Amino acid sequence: MPLLDVKDLKAGYGPVNVLDGMHLHVDQGEFVVMLGANGAGKTTTMRAISGLIPRHGSIVFEGHDIHKASADSIVRSGIAQVPQGRGTFPELSVEDNLLAGAYVRHGGDGVHDDMDKWFAVFPRLAERRAQRAGSLSGGEQQMLAIARALMSRPKLLLCDEPSLGLAPLITQELFAVLERLNRDEGLSVLLVEQNANLAMHIANRVYLLETGQIVASGSAEELGADDAIRKAYLGF
Amino acid sequence: MELFFQRLIDGLSQGSVYSLIALGLVIIYRGTGHLNFAQGEMALFCAYCVYQFGEWGIPVWIALVLGMAVGFAVGAASEVTLVRPISKKSPFAVFVVTLGLFTFLNWLDGAIWGNQQLPNSGVGSKQQSYPSLFPNAPDDFWQPFGVTIRYERAGILALVLVITALLFLLFNKTKFGLAMRAVASNTESAKLAGIRTNTVLMVSWGLAAAIGAVGGVVIAGLNSNVNLGLMFTVFIYGSAAATLGGFDSPIGAVLGGLIIGVVENMASGYAQEWIGQDMKLSVAFMVILVVLLFKPSGLFGTAKVERV
Repeated sequence: MPLLDVKDLKAGYGPVNVLDGMHLHVDQGEFVVMLGANGAGKTTTMRAISGLIPRHGSIVFEGHDIHKASADSIVRSGIAQVPQGRGTFPELSVEDNLLAGAYVRHGGDGVHDDMDKWFAVFPRLAERRAQRAGSLSGGEQQMLAIARALMSRPKLLLCDEPSLGLAPLITQELFAVLERLNRDEGLSVLLVEQNANLAMHIANRVYLLETGQIVASGSAEELGADDAIRKAYLGF
Repeated sequence: MELFFQRLIDGLSQGSVYSLIALGLVIIYRGTGHLNFAQGEMALFCAYCVYQFGEWGIPVWIALVLGMAVGFAVGAASEVTLVRPISKKSPFAVFVVTLGLFTFLNWLDGAIWGNQQLPNSGVGSKQQSYPSLFPNAPDDFWQPFGVTIRYERAGILALVLVITALLFLLFNKTKFGLAMRAVASNTESAKLAGIRTNTVLMVSWGLAAAIGAVGGVVIAGLNSNVNLGLMFTVFIYGSAAATLGGFDSPIGAVLGGLIIGVVENMASGYAQEWIGQDMKLSVAFMVILVVLLFKPSGLFGTAKVERV
């Protein structure tokens, strides 16, 4: 049984459905990347899974259908999202951002240990622990957003275009951290990207999304081997 | 010199009422970005309720707590039934909704308690004057160094400082306070952190109205009676205090209220001939104007800092 199984997902804004019956799944411990151009529906997919927008169809996580659940109960069930752009609380200190990330956990057990752990993974956040998140650089804010999401100890991490607006070196650094978390801690990841090159290297499986539909899926090698797909979608 | 301290102390206790109204405005603004025009009238409704509890023989401090509970319920219910559904459609409509609530609550007060000031022996009030939270007989004062400090005034100032300290602890030392600050900073990320943002907003409105209730009871006590027009100027001063302190800063709201209270008292006291009672409102606003020219986000407000 997949960890996350999405079937016939329809979602959008107002009367317009951006997603019109999409299917995808993420297995336990998998690193899945979804590629697609602007407007393909990548962010809408993430927002629908997290319960931020109304959606229809079935979204089954660990055997429970969550397509009607509220955003906060979805976090409680073990899905954390790093939203596109700024997923931080700009007026709050770095430490308070992380504490807010641990909001769904009961009691204070291990919260500070986890905080130290993420400070070790992202040493630049440790140096700025008392600063307001809004004063951090774009890359630091993205690190903070990821650490904030991980503070809830999720089973599945959703990442919406973490590379957006970041220098290539910083993006590589972030992806290396995500890859390590996936490999060493068994964290399942669903990551959405426009930047095909970087993301495909770390993916177990890739989906190609076009106008609200999955048009191809497979391992990075399989998709890379298909000339038509490579030219049309991957740009290399 | 004694007169100076006298006016300072009177100004501080007067200003502490503005602080309470401003605190309510700031709590709601931080959470939702809305200015609650009904803040003063919610407080007035609670002040009427406390009068009613007094008529039923309930001791004043218990009546105050009950009044705060009424305020909490009114504030929370307004958020859930009026503000939340309408703010989804249009944020500007919320402005009209709170104005509507303002007129509705004032009408409701009049419909229940009439348009005469209360207590009033003419309508059979048992109480002589509006219940005061602190001793306020004519000889209830200290007189250190020739400055008259009435127990009532000192008590009110102390009460406001205690409320401020409790709010500070709530915001900065509790999990719920963290959730309130997170919602104020970024509602969507708060949802993604698993915070029940709707609950946080409902409680914020309730809390704001409960704090306002204290302000209403205090000003009615100072005034010895409650009447339908009691909160009009207090609300104007309260919003001015929030603007002066910075609309997103609780500490700013408290200090803004105190500063306005002092300026108001000094202005009308020292320049009685050419400022007097009628013009003191304008003096307070001139001070605010000058501050905002140099510090547009208010004395303690944070200019939004964001880096791309």
